[in-house]
Amino acid sequence: MAEAMIKYDYAHPRTSLAITLSVWNALFLREAVSRLSVGRIAWLWLLAEPIIQIGIMLFIFTVIRMRIVGGISTEAWLIIGMITFLMFKRPSGQVQNALSANRALFAYRQVKPIDTLLVRAWLEGFITVLIAIIFGIGGTFFGVELIPHDPLMVVTVFFGMWLMGLGYGLVTSVAVELIPKMGTFLGFFGAFLHISSGVVLPVSTVPEPYRGWLLLNPLLHGTEAARVGISPYYHAIPGMDIGYLYKCAIVAIFFGLALHRRFETKLITL
Amino acid sequence: MILVDNIHKRYKTNHGPGKWVLQGVSFVIPPNVSVGLVGRNGAGKSTLLRLIGGTDQPTKGHVERRCRVSWPMGFGGGLQGSLTGRQNAKFVCRIHGHEDDIEDRLAYIQDFAEIGDAFDEPIKTYSSGMKSRLQFGLSLAFDFDVYISDEVTATGDAAFKNKAATAFKNLADHASLIMVSHGESTLKEFCSSGIFLDNGKAHWFDDIDDALKAYKESRSK
Repeated sequence: MAEAMIKYDYAHPRTSLAITLSVWNALFLREAVSRLSVGRIAWLWLLAEPIIQIGIMLFIFTVIRMRIVGGISTEAWLIIGMITFLMFKRPSGQVQNALSANRALFAYRQVKPIDTLLVRAWLEGFITVLIAIIFGIGGTFFGVELIPHDPLMVVTVFFGMWLMGLGYGLVTSVAVELIPKMGTFLGFFGAFLHISSGVVLPVSTVPEPYRGWLLLNPLLHGTEAARVGISPYYHAIPGMDIGYLYKCAIVAIFFGLALHRRFETKLITL
Repeated sequence: MILVDNIHKRYKTNHGPGKWVLQGVSFVIPPNVSVGLVGRNGAGKSTLLRLIGGTDQPTKGHVERRCRVSWPMGFGGGLQGSLTGRQNAKFVCRIHGHEDDIEDRLAYIQDFAEIGDAFDEPIKTYSSGMKSRLQFGLSLAFDFDVYISDEVTATGDAAFKNKAATAFKNLADHASLIMVSHGESTLKEFCSSGIFLDNGKAHWFDDIDDALKAYKESRSK
């Protein structure tokens, strides 16, 4: 009867790395399917959300008759800021909720909580880059100047924002599981980050010493640097430093990984 | 062979650590011995299965698996409702390293589960019996030494139970089962030995009938 099934090779079990890689592959495909194909227009919403946000802000700026911000057109200023911020916001939000969304999968001992987070960050980064490219092409088509003057700088900023999103998500994913009502608090905190990151509020109009305080927010450095990378005419705020964004991101990632190591069993059990 | 060494387990509650569910449970399951777990509701049967399956970690003590052990099947665990049966099956094949022969495995699962076109419908539209069929087919598609089943046969109809029993007897020369069930006949059909869980302790019986007898005696007290 033994020929009915392929025999398991006891002498050569799969290595830990091989198991992890196959889990990442499986999770990635699974997440991609549920993100893009569940519901008939799931993929459309990915684009509609930033379009609506930018549209509303653009309307407000038009009403208060603000045509130019920091030397570039309001449209370009808004779109670059919003998309750059999305490079942080989408991965961080998806990573933060990865544990509760994938709880059923922890039935398989091959799947560790951290796997679901890393895979989500990777997939979401990929989707957001696609959105950014579509916006870049679409905006240019409508006469907004979005062709990067310094593409390498834009890539560096986007990658830094994505790393920051991963780090933030790693930390908050543990926090929302272990601290009651943390999700609600983080909702408010997200709104604060949005305002203080120079996405909708031109930070150059904020007087000192408050502007210095806002510079503590690493995301602000990202949105400003992205505008500099797109347009050489943009006057960035003094004190802008991409290195600061990367330093914060790396600290957050390692802190998040340490939290996951420390609370690994608690996160599964809950 | 599975070694369970002095495991303790309690869960976190909203008011700090909860009561001990398992308190100093030790036993050895030899190769090729199918075991039935009996005990009252809340005695820690499902908890023990989860610990053996590696889904959860004991508070104290440790479990050693010296063979290939399946995940605990039962109550829709490990299936994502918004995805179809096929998509869930693909996922399980992939994490077990069967990307290469995924088509054969899928064909086997679809054939065993016998749920027809529902295989391409989302899991949330399934009845509990259909879920059981899918789960049992999923786990049988892989070459495990020990299959862990948490009442997975309980919701199946007679035809499915027969099919599962037959499939299982075919595997009996190199695989075994650890199962929880409240059906006495199911336990007697599948298992040779038994574990009776009572007050956080585990009592091993070489014969499932003795385990059932001990369980009945404790109830009548």
